[in-house]
Amino acid sequence: MIVLKFIGYGFTAIIIGLLFMGIGRKYTARIQRRYGPPFWQAFIDVTKLFSKQSLSHNWIMDFGILMGFAGIVGTILFMPIGPWHFFSLMNGNIVIIMYFMTIGSLGMAMGVSASGNPNSTIGISRALTLMVGYEIPFVIAVIGLIFVSKSSLLGTMVSLQSGGIMNWNIIKYPFGFIAVEMALQAMLGEKPFDVITAPSEIASGPMVELSGKMMGLAFLQHAAQIFLETGIVVNLFLGGANNIWEFFLKQFVLFILSLTVNAISPRFKFEDAVKWLWTWPTVFALIQLLIIILT
Amino acid sequence: MSDNLTYLGMEDQYKKYELFFGPNHPGMNGNFSYILTVEGHTIVKAEPVPGLLHRGFEKLVEQRLWLQNISLILRICVPEPDINELVYSRIIEKLMGVEIPERAKFIRTIVLEMSRIGAFLLGFGGIGGTTGLYTAPNWTIADRDYLLDLWEWISGARVYHMFILPGGVRRDLPEGWIEKLQKTIAYLEKRLPEYDRLIYNNPLIVKRVTGLAPITQEDAIKYGITGPNLRATGVKFDARKNVPYAAYPYLDFDIPTQTGGDGFARVIQRREEFEISLNLVKQAIKLMPKGEVRAPMPNALKFRVPKGERYVRVESARGEHGFYIVSDGTEKPYRMAVRGGSYTAGLIYAKKALEGMRIEDVALWMATMDICAPDFDR
Repeated sequence: MIVLKFIGYGFTAIIIGLLFMGIGRKYTARIQRRYGPPFWQAFIDVTKLFSKQSLSHNWIMDFGILMGFAGIVGTILFMPIGPWHFFSLMNGNIVIIMYFMTIGSLGMAMGVSASGNPNSTIGISRALTLMVGYEIPFVIAVIGLIFVSKSSLLGTMVSLQSGGIMNWNIIKYPFGFIAVEMALQAMLGEKPFDVITAPSEIASGPMVELSGKMMGLAFLQHAAQIFLETGIVVNLFLGGANNIWEFFLKQFVLFILSLTVNAISPRFKFEDAVKWLWTWPTVFALIQLLIIILT
Repeated sequence: MSDNLTYLGMEDQYKKYELFFGPNHPGMNGNFSYILTVEGHTIVKAEPVPGLLHRGFEKLVEQRLWLQNISLILRICVPEPDINELVYSRIIEKLMGVEIPERAKFIRTIVLEMSRIGAFLLGFGGIGGTTGLYTAPNWTIADRDYLLDLWEWISGARVYHMFILPGGVRRDLPEGWIEKLQKTIAYLEKRLPEYDRLIYNNPLIVKRVTGLAPITQEDAIKYGITGPNLRATGVKFDARKNVPYAAYPYLDFDIPTQTGGDGFARVIQRREEFEISLNLVKQAIKLMPKGEVRAPMPNALKFRVPKGERYVRVESARGEHGFYIVSDGTEKPYRMAVRGGSYTAGLIYAKKALEGMRIEDVALWMATMDICAPDFDR
């Protein structure tokens, strides 16, 4: 039963993530005055990638990519998805989630660094630097919520937000939400924070040496990452959900908001991105923390 | 181990690495490459490597009849092919002593300015593409298509038009074409504030291009940098004004200049010149007289150009574009050499400009300089 549950969690995350990616491509295309690909394009891309041969430089590369993918899918198990809970006793411990989330980036870092391509290495060094940038405001905002909820469990935070929109943390702690939303943009790697892939600078960075199934796994990791990161914010600030469809809808709203900013923003230089993340979202998160402590 | 290889030397060896910034790199503008020696994120040495786009145009021209070459030379450059037709035709006209009809001069001016506008639109997209603002290229390239529709109507071709010929232009403008052109110009004028909001007033783009690889006036002149890049340093030189051709002497326009010569000055210079080009088309439409569009020329098969040599230059979107042609009086050119608009900027000045630059700025620098590989590799 637990194995089936695990597979269900993983598949849901990947399918919803890929669907979001496809719809997102269509949405961006419309902003750019294009017709855009069909919304199921992401599924076609992944299927094609898994049917192709892949080049591997060494076993560390294979292992790193698998570790990155497994890290993200594994983290999703700790997140409450509406009424779904994988671990009923440890219902979405945010500290564990944040700790495990880095496994995705570290796995990818290990995998692509092993390829030896300078573009990949620069990309992954940027990814790890950016992580330091967005985790600080995110953690400060989360500390505030842990403080008011007297719990680090997402499940408890969600239950405290039940009873209508006025109870949601987005209304009660708007500065915290702004900080987390800004950090989410960087977590998702959308512009102006797409310094990790930056095609015109480092030729898509970590992706440059990935091919076939490796690329497919990286694609799936990204899809799962979209699901995980938007899901965390839904649980933290948008009151979770009573059913999974409501949960997906809230995630989708966050994702579309992120894509809108993405479509009209150019890219930061990566140190500017970190500086910006340490300034604006951090200030908002600190203001929120101060308000929480003082009231 | 060699005595020369000290511990410090070994450290240096691993501190630097070579980065191939070539045609397979999404930031590269065309079939061209730089081999960059990078330390951390900073370029310590840049070596331009042309040759990947070599198609032997200058030699091919010698093996074809004078008029056959019209369908060849314009293929040198995709973004702005019409300048090649004009330069080639003007050299033949000068050597043969042919004066073209007034109407043809105005039609040539309209076509050339349309070509400039199209090239500028691609350039605007380049600024967006290299900074990740992909909405910009999608918008500008789609808007450029309206100009391609107009070309298709007069020449049957969207990219390589073969419309400007020795003696004038291929044929008169069809009925209704001018009205459609006026509508397109009005549409582009209406789009300009949107481009401003998206690209030129975008704080992130302004931040990224401000102070990017400034060119001094002395360097610009020393390295032979021309066009908008030269004018961005404050030097007021434009072939349309200084060595007028086509109908430019009849048109009222002033050439803007900027100061500083940095990325922002170069980008804004092109933005202002785009507006001037729209205005020039409108003026040319208004002042265009009626009459013939091509002076009588000999039969194409018996076409011979008198012995002599000429260098003719025009103002392209990227700078001074010139051909040097030698005729030995036969039915084929004896020798031809091309000077592209961004020839010195991309090949010789690049070595100086890229040194000390961060790798994330290379593609953006190329976009602000409007470097086009066919200008130095044919």
